[in-house]
Amino acid sequence: MSDLLYVGKNVPRTIEVDKVTGRAIYINDLKRPGMLYGKILYSKYAHARIKNVDISKAEKLPGVRAVLSGYNIPDVRVGFLKDQTVLKKGIVRQFRDEVAAVAAISEEIAEEALGLIEVEYEELPAVFDPIEAMKEGATLVHEVDVRGKPVTSNIIPLPWKFKAGDIEQGQKDSAYVVKDSLTTTWINQCCMGTSGCVAEFDMNNNLTLYNQTNVPFLDKQRIVEYFAGIGLKGQNVRVVNVTVGGSFGTKLDTDIYEFISIQLALKTRKPVKVLFNREEEFQALPPRQPARFTIEQGCDKEGRLTFRKSEAILDNGAYTSWGVTTPSVMMMPMSSLYRVPNVSFEATCVYTNNIYCQAMRGYGNPQATFAVEVSMDRLAEKAGIDPAELRLINSNQSGDITPMRLKITSCGLEECINSVKKKLDWGGKKKKQKSRGVGMASLIHVAGGARVYLSDGHGMMIKIDQNGHVDVLESGTDQGQGSPTVISQIIAEALGFKPEDISLTFGDTGLCLWDAGTHASRHTFMAGNAAIRACEKAKRQILEIAVEKIPGLIKGNFKRKKRKDPDFVEPDLDYNLISGPEKLDIRDRMVFPKAAPDHPYFKFEVSDILRSGLHVGVGESKVVVADAFYDPPTENLDREMKGNLSLTYAFGATGVEVEVDEETGKVKILNLFAAHDVGKAINPTLVKGQIYGAAYMGAGYALTEEMLVENGRVMNPNFRDYKMLTAKDIIPVDPILIETDEKDGPFGAKGIGEPGLVPTAPAIANAIYDAIGVRINDLPITPEKIITALKEKKKQN
Amino acid sequence: MNKFDYLIPTSIQEAISLHESHGEQSNYIAGGTDVMVKIKQGKINPLVLISLTRLKGLDHIIYEKGELRIGAMVTHRMLELSPVIRKEFPILIDAVENIGSVQVRNVATIGGNIVNGVPSADGAIPLLTLGAQVRTVGPEGERTVALEDFFVGAGKTCLKSGEILSEFVVPELPAHSGAAYWKHTRRGAMELAILGVGVLISLKDDMKTCAEARIGLGVLAPTPMRAKKAEAILKGKKVDEETLKEAGSTAAQECKARDSIRGKAWYRRGMVELFVRRMGTVAMERAS
Amino acid sequence: MKNISVTFTLNGDLVTAEVPPNWTLLKTLREYFELTGPKEGCGVGECGACTVIMDGDAINSCIYPIPEVEGKTVTTIEGVADKDGTLHPLQKAFLENNGVQCGFCTSGMIMSAKALLDQNSEPTEDQIRTSIAGNLCRCTGYVQIVDSIEKAAEMIKEKK
Repeated sequence: MSDLLYVGKNVPRTIEVDKVTGRAIYINDLKRPGMLYGKILYSKYAHARIKNVDISKAEKLPGVRAVLSGYNIPDVRVGFLKDQTVLKKGIVRQFRDEVAAVAAISEEIAEEALGLIEVEYEELPAVFDPIEAMKEGATLVHEVDVRGKPVTSNIIPLPWKFKAGDIEQGQKDSAYVVKDSLTTTWINQCCMGTSGCVAEFDMNNNLTLYNQTNVPFLDKQRIVEYFAGIGLKGQNVRVVNVTVGGSFGTKLDTDIYEFISIQLALKTRKPVKVLFNREEEFQALPPRQPARFTIEQGCDKEGRLTFRKSEAILDNGAYTSWGVTTPSVMMMPMSSLYRVPNVSFEATCVYTNNIYCQAMRGYGNPQATFAVEVSMDRLAEKAGIDPAELRLINSNQSGDITPMRLKITSCGLEECINSVKKKLDWGGKKKKQKSRGVGMASLIHVAGGARVYLSDGHGMMIKIDQNGHVDVLESGTDQGQGSPTVISQIIAEALGFKPEDISLTFGDTGLCLWDAGTHASRHTFMAGNAAIRACEKAKRQILEIAVEKIPGLIKGNFKRKKRKDPDFVEPDLDYNLISGPEKLDIRDRMVFPKAAPDHPYFKFEVSDILRSGLHVGVGESKVVVADAFYDPPTENLDREMKGNLSLTYAFGATGVEVEVDEETGKVKILNLFAAHDVGKAINPTLVKGQIYGAAYMGAGYALTEEMLVENGRVMNPNFRDYKMLTAKDIIPVDPILIETDEKDGPFGAKGIGEPGLVPTAPAIANAIYDAIGVRINDLPITPEKIITALKEKKKQN
Repeated sequence: MNKFDYLIPTSIQEAISLHESHGEQSNYIAGGTDVMVKIKQGKINPLVLISLTRLKGLDHIIYEKGELRIGAMVTHRMLELSPVIRKEFPILIDAVENIGSVQVRNVATIGGNIVNGVPSADGAIPLLTLGAQVRTVGPEGERTVALEDFFVGAGKTCLKSGEILSEFVVPELPAHSGAAYWKHTRRGAMELAILGVGVLISLKDDMKTCAEARIGLGVLAPTPMRAKKAEAILKGKKVDEETLKEAGSTAAQECKARDSIRGKAWYRRGMVELFVRRMGTVAMERAS
Repeated sequence: MKNISVTFTLNGDLVTAEVPPNWTLLKTLREYFELTGPKEGCGVGECGACTVIMDGDAINSCIYPIPEVEGKTVTTIEGVADKDGTLHPLQKAFLENNGVQCGFCTSGMIMSAKALLDQNSEPTEDQIRTSIAGNLCRCTGYVQIVDSIEKAAEMIKEKK
């Protein structure tokens, strides 16, 4: 690759200056003319029959413009399995069930109105433990399925069964086998900007939804389907994002609050904002999916993995969102982290009266990798092999096709493990220190798109005006990861312009082409590849104009020179150098002939070319506009849950050194090395930013974060008692960028948004074991659990 | 948020008479970091807030002849940055520099912290350990109460209606005294303690034997408490690993630790034992 | 409930707010003065997204009663850049060192950092972390925020 001007450089985020000056408009800040404020009334019980809903007093409160309940809006079902209505009617199945909603002229009046809604409940027995819920005779959370047929079990009929090879044979071939049980719990995404949206209808009943979604086109589609059920078939929906205050998975679904704001806007004929306060964000927003794993792994005498068998039980909560699809991603580490020939994985999802879950960074991979990587360490110990060595022996390699049929292209796993080993001084520190220990874990994740839907396409349009300013209509979304800067860098590089020439509009369904969603760490990969293709087309258009117009421009220059200086002699120029667009190139906003990059007469500012192409006088004027819809050659998962769903995969390893205070049980992280195969770091500073943030999230996941849910109720719905880490929780994170130059990635890049988080918790758990000889298989690893485990260990000795 | 009127009197007498005229519907407010949150959460519902911020004579830190007087309206940040507190009463620094955040400490007052009456009050335990007294002024005049007797129940103090806490007085400490406080938390900041342990040790002239010990415990009973039995263990004895251990386990037994979402009783008891020992050691070092 | 009148200095200008007495400083800034820089992240003083500087000190405006602001000086993120739009070193540094990602915590974060640098131009890393301990951030892991503040301190030093 010739020397790159922008890709690979730490271009600052100057394009986002509004964020440091208080001018960026988040959903909290958005005001539309005549806007009303919507508030939601939640259920008082985890499971109850609704006997009566009386909204009459609330309706009469001055300033209230609409009061809705399950009884005055259509019964249309929504959600992944269409197992809930927008406002609940008849039965409430969890504490956060939305029973009524109010739109009023101020937030205070809307709150007051909620207090005037009278709901009569008849409490029903509830079930809060998925194991209990699976038993025969357990209280049914749903009595009929979506088609109205009676249901006899809380187990959801979902196809999460994966099998490859022959497990029994694998067990027979094993010299060493370990079996473990591990659990992970509910984790809140803790976006600093809370959830919310503004719904606004025009007088023709077309909707504009100002939102914060990761999936504007899917969001739109779900609303279009919803419209069909509520008598608005054929009306247009436009989803437009404002500045988003973080996502981490919270915005992949179309949440109930979005439908509520739409209903309120429809009823009042005014824009309606529904905005969560922080308590709602903890209690009424679906968190990360908890999981209970059993996992069995074996290896032969040489340490080669022989089989991996795992089962998971997922507490689905009362309804279904993305949480219950996490097993489809769990299959990836289960089947493909390291070379393992025989694999089986089965996940059972069970309805309970707890809160239901959605996506969160990593989407099942952090949970499953915790299980796999703790098990690997146990296996290493049993086999008498160093844990790093066991991983290297079984490392994925370029060219592998895994049991899930994932095609491994570029693979820097070995390099990641080795660099982490070195940084940790693995040999010098492993099993050598009192109360201090080192541990590691690796990851595999999709990094080249993810064919979750039938299309994994991503569209981009660019238009270039006569001044050389580039407007980009980008179908992905920006949640703060730095996409405006990164995509500007790629486009600037591909076009030969400068990043400051570029303005981007993200995720507006009225303007942009389709995209499957900014999820699965796919944005840079997909947008970058679409950009390169669109820029190729745009560049060609510019160069075709150049070929046509340069001779005329030169003639004009010479005329002017002759007028000033009559003695001027026109030089003899070799117009062959510029006779075709393939002979020209653009760099630094200058069009020039490839064969003579510094030609004194054939080099032109790109804006001169563009202007001459547009303002022609006589003939056909031209504008430059190009689009690309990039859909990588990947596969959906087939019935056996196998298929190469991504064009390339991210690999990485996290190594941690911890110190445990054996008297208090508190864990201090002394060092955290995160080595990631990123293909190519388009902007190293931004890539590191993803790794730092993910490492902190991972440390919280491992040690301090948990939603305390008791009998269906979230007991710590605030930042005081939900332990997200602060700036005083110092973790020395050292990100190591390994560039394997992925041939299918834009300039070689792969995704990084989620991988940074995935191996952190098991690395910490493994390090704790090295430090104090106890394993805690239940996240988070709190001081209490460590003290209890140490006491147990003492008793046994 | 509920509707309330906001009054800003400029003298203590004015504040007290305003409170008298509005009675139960009114609430005093100092920095507001507790009161405003309680109102937002619907825990209290006053119709009138009476601000104490413009009352004079309540924001002093005076250390004279061994006696320390801290005005009730002194903020935690003022304490944190006070050279005399840092030098003479480091146990207070141990507490205040770990309260909330800089933003909270800039506004929250030590008086407000104690009047809030919660067992986790980080300001209360060190003051309790130092043997502080509380001065109040109210419709019936002034009175002085030992801080120990100030807390009567979870979230309840013995403040009578209309009374304003005006000042903390720490009487001169015995010779060779050192004191330290530990706030046990899960994270590095923004924490309500899992528990708090304050230890003061006054040594005899031989610098080894304990003349007097005071142990203050927070979040280990419905109110901040003194572990009197544990204190008695240390009194008159040589302060070493063993006696501190014994004092610790006694304190663990006499505290009334309970389960809450912030921690389990068994863990709290274990940590009391541990931190009485650790803070006792620090107190010893500071006494020397 | 009658409105009250509160006069104070806001971002260098003398202003008067006519608002209900139960409003907080944050609500007054956002709704009366339409300064949406300070954000509500939790409403109870636990996240710092609402941080503004009052009389030189960083405070949580979401729990600060507006009547108390009478006669005081308040600076929000909107008052940090020069009047001609020149960015403050902190703002430049946050953009150059990736101290801002989603940006929701950024207004409050910069105010806490500014309060520190205005009082202490050569802070240690520990002092920096203490000054922003009350500003929660989910995106950055704080590392590049600390970097940004350190770089800003250097920039300020060089200017002098």
